[in-house]
Amino acid sequence: MLRRARYELAGRAVSPFLSRLEGWRRRLRPRPGRSGRGGASPFGPPLEAARKLKELMTAHYFQGRFAEGAVPVAWVTSGFPVELLRPLGYHTLYPENHAALCGVRRLVPALSDAAEHEGYARDLCSYARTDLGSLLTGETPAGRLPRPDLLACCTNICQTVLYWYRALAARLGVPLVLVDTPYVYGEAPPHHAAYVRAQLEEAVAVAERVARRRLDPAALRETVRLARDGSRLWGECLETATARPAPWTGFDGFFHIAPIVTLRGTEACNAYYRLLRDELRERVRRGVGGLREERHRLLWDNLPIWFAVREVSSLLAARGFNFVCTSYTNAWAEAGSRVDPDDPLGSVGLAYTHVILNQDLPHRLDTLRRLARSYGVDGAVLHSDRSCKPYSIGQVDLKERLARELGLRVLLLEADHDDPRAWSSEQADTRLTAFMEAFA
Amino acid sequence: MTRREYILAQRARHGRRALAVLPVAYPRELPTALDLLAVELWGPPGPPRSDAAGRIQAYVCPVVRNALAFLAAGGADAVDGALFPHTCDSLQQLATLAADLGGWSRPALVFQHPRGPGRASTRAFLDGELRALAAGLERLAGRALEPERLAWAIDLHEEIDGLRAALLDLGPRSGLGERARYALLRRGEWLWPEEHLAELRAALAARPPAPEAPRGVPLLVTGYVPEPMALLDVLESAGARVAADDWAAVGRRVARTRTEGEPWARLLARHEALPPCPTRAADQAGRVRHLEGLLDRSGARGVLVHTVKFCEPELFDVPAIRAAFAARGVPVLHLETELEVEPPAQAVTRVEAFVELLSSGRAA
Repeated sequence: MLRRARYELAGRAVSPFLSRLEGWRRRLRPRPGRSGRGGASPFGPPLEAARKLKELMTAHYFQGRFAEGAVPVAWVTSGFPVELLRPLGYHTLYPENHAALCGVRRLVPALSDAAEHEGYARDLCSYARTDLGSLLTGETPAGRLPRPDLLACCTNICQTVLYWYRALAARLGVPLVLVDTPYVYGEAPPHHAAYVRAQLEEAVAVAERVARRRLDPAALRETVRLARDGSRLWGECLETATARPAPWTGFDGFFHIAPIVTLRGTEACNAYYRLLRDELRERVRRGVGGLREERHRLLWDNLPIWFAVREVSSLLAARGFNFVCTSYTNAWAEAGSRVDPDDPLGSVGLAYTHVILNQDLPHRLDTLRRLARSYGVDGAVLHSDRSCKPYSIGQVDLKERLARELGLRVLLLEADHDDPRAWSSEQADTRLTAFMEAFA
Repeated sequence: MTRREYILAQRARHGRRALAVLPVAYPRELPTALDLLAVELWGPPGPPRSDAAGRIQAYVCPVVRNALAFLAAGGADAVDGALFPHTCDSLQQLATLAADLGGWSRPALVFQHPRGPGRASTRAFLDGELRALAAGLERLAGRALEPERLAWAIDLHEEIDGLRAALLDLGPRSGLGERARYALLRRGEWLWPEEHLAELRAALAARPPAPEAPRGVPLLVTGYVPEPMALLDVLESAGARVAADDWAAVGRRVARTRTEGEPWARLLARHEALPPCPTRAADQAGRVRHLEGLLDRSGARGVLVHTVKFCEPELFDVPAIRAAFAARGVPVLHLETELEVEPPAQAVTRVEAFVELLSSGRAA
């Protein structure tokens, strides 16, 4: 009871207070601003919602410190149908999101070293190495991560997560629920949908046992509705960038994606996106752009390079290049389109099977074409990500098709989403500069 | 006779169509029952056969890059279709890359393994995948799958697996050197199964009646594929022998059970009876127990973990394998190769040093 009260207090009172305190401190400090090369910032005014985003995510991680023993805790892959866990009272933590946070803070080399010392090869996904390293060392930028009671993994983003979560399960000694989503080549046959649905039922049984409560169907429907609405709201935020100038940058989107990944299916998530959408629409109405001067509009494919987001965006922004859309952030807007609260398990199974990484390359090409056209881009950067083979294999052909069919200038930029040891600033600078010069 | 010549000869003599099969596991009984010659494509080793390898990034495993190069260069133009088992993320992507964006214009079939522990849903899905694959193969073969013919194919492959298991267990007592023994085992990757069975029978019939006790340091080898094959020569000349085989391409595809009953149920049971393999997302703890059992039964004194560069399924298990054998005081050598034609000098040196350490009774 006491732990539960502390958990609730941390989320509802202490965390908001700390966030306000941090806000006051920030206001007292001189702001460095988002500057490009040459001093004056090429970016438009910062989004007001960013402050709320920080509060929301800080609160989530802060509350997590008190979750252990208070509520059931699940560590979850980003593509797991979390709608099943929320009504059971789980506090969810996303190791991918945590690893991205480590990437932004440039903690990955040290954490990965720890994992590599344990025998995990550097050729493995850097998210996995980072989180395993964090587990081995106890180091985290989040202060402290709550130990999970349950691990929940869905293979719709890659098969890697299964190996990664098994390693976590072996080290933590907690149950692992798996939702295996067969890859969709063209159309998924009926036995694939039946398989996913059956696994969702199996997953619920395990999650109920761990949480020691039964899943309330009405609560499930409500969570599914919230997740669907959240996905739509996120889509509405992204769509504002079809305006010229786009009211924000695609790289802003990489950070504002956090709630739809980690708080999907909650009212807090939806409230945040209503706030963000309204601010973005207002910026469109007033003609305020993500860049002060938007000369060229670009598409980004694949995960961000978390440790170099600022570096890459500043370099491009200084010359008026704005990433107005990304296939990665778009994926979270599309996920909800198939969800139906009246058929929670069936529709959730279908939705999570049909995420972009679980569908064939013609589907991916169609998505990129559609984004390129609807956002009016004149170029694209395809991040060839050493740590994400499902996202990266095929990009050489996609590059050629986008250039040939849509007349886009396309750059294949090799990097890693989390590990700066696979990154050369000088080479990236040269390649991106040459790419931009092609637009002259 | 090259594989291409063999495929053409099979077509000319028996009217048999052929199917290229990518690694690793697939229900061999189905193509056999439909009179389709399955010819496996493990790369092939060596430099890529065409520039198409450049369509896949250099940080992807050479099996996948070489396969695309080979398919795109027309290397498999003697076959009528290709089967892409869903072995890993990279092979999954290859299936859509080659078939949808260029490189393979003939029928492309997929076979997805259920990933995860044996659950009711898993069995139902596997059954569905087997039947879906059978339907695709029927179209390719231009004939219907008859239950009697499927039962015959299962019997045939059970007998083959029994003889392959015997050959693996006999090791040098088979009278064959390591290279010759593996060459024979791997001919099963492309020979018509009845011919492979005949070769296995002949080899086992010709084994010495009273073989000498095997010489050389016994090793447990686990990994992906015994390529380069010259690695076996290196082992032998260093004074080691493969006492227990857990290569995905060889030992891990031998089901050591006999099944009975209705053919589809037998097919399912055979697939489930395969040794644990990370490419089928087998449970890691179960795999480690299996390896420990292999070590104990074979008397192996060291473990050689032989992976292909960038192979995530294998690489994720390496720490657990290392830890398990370290706890038992069993030395482990992790060797990574890249489908070279000859073993790199560094690999040779490491193998020699490892065997030397084992010979002298010191842990690595």
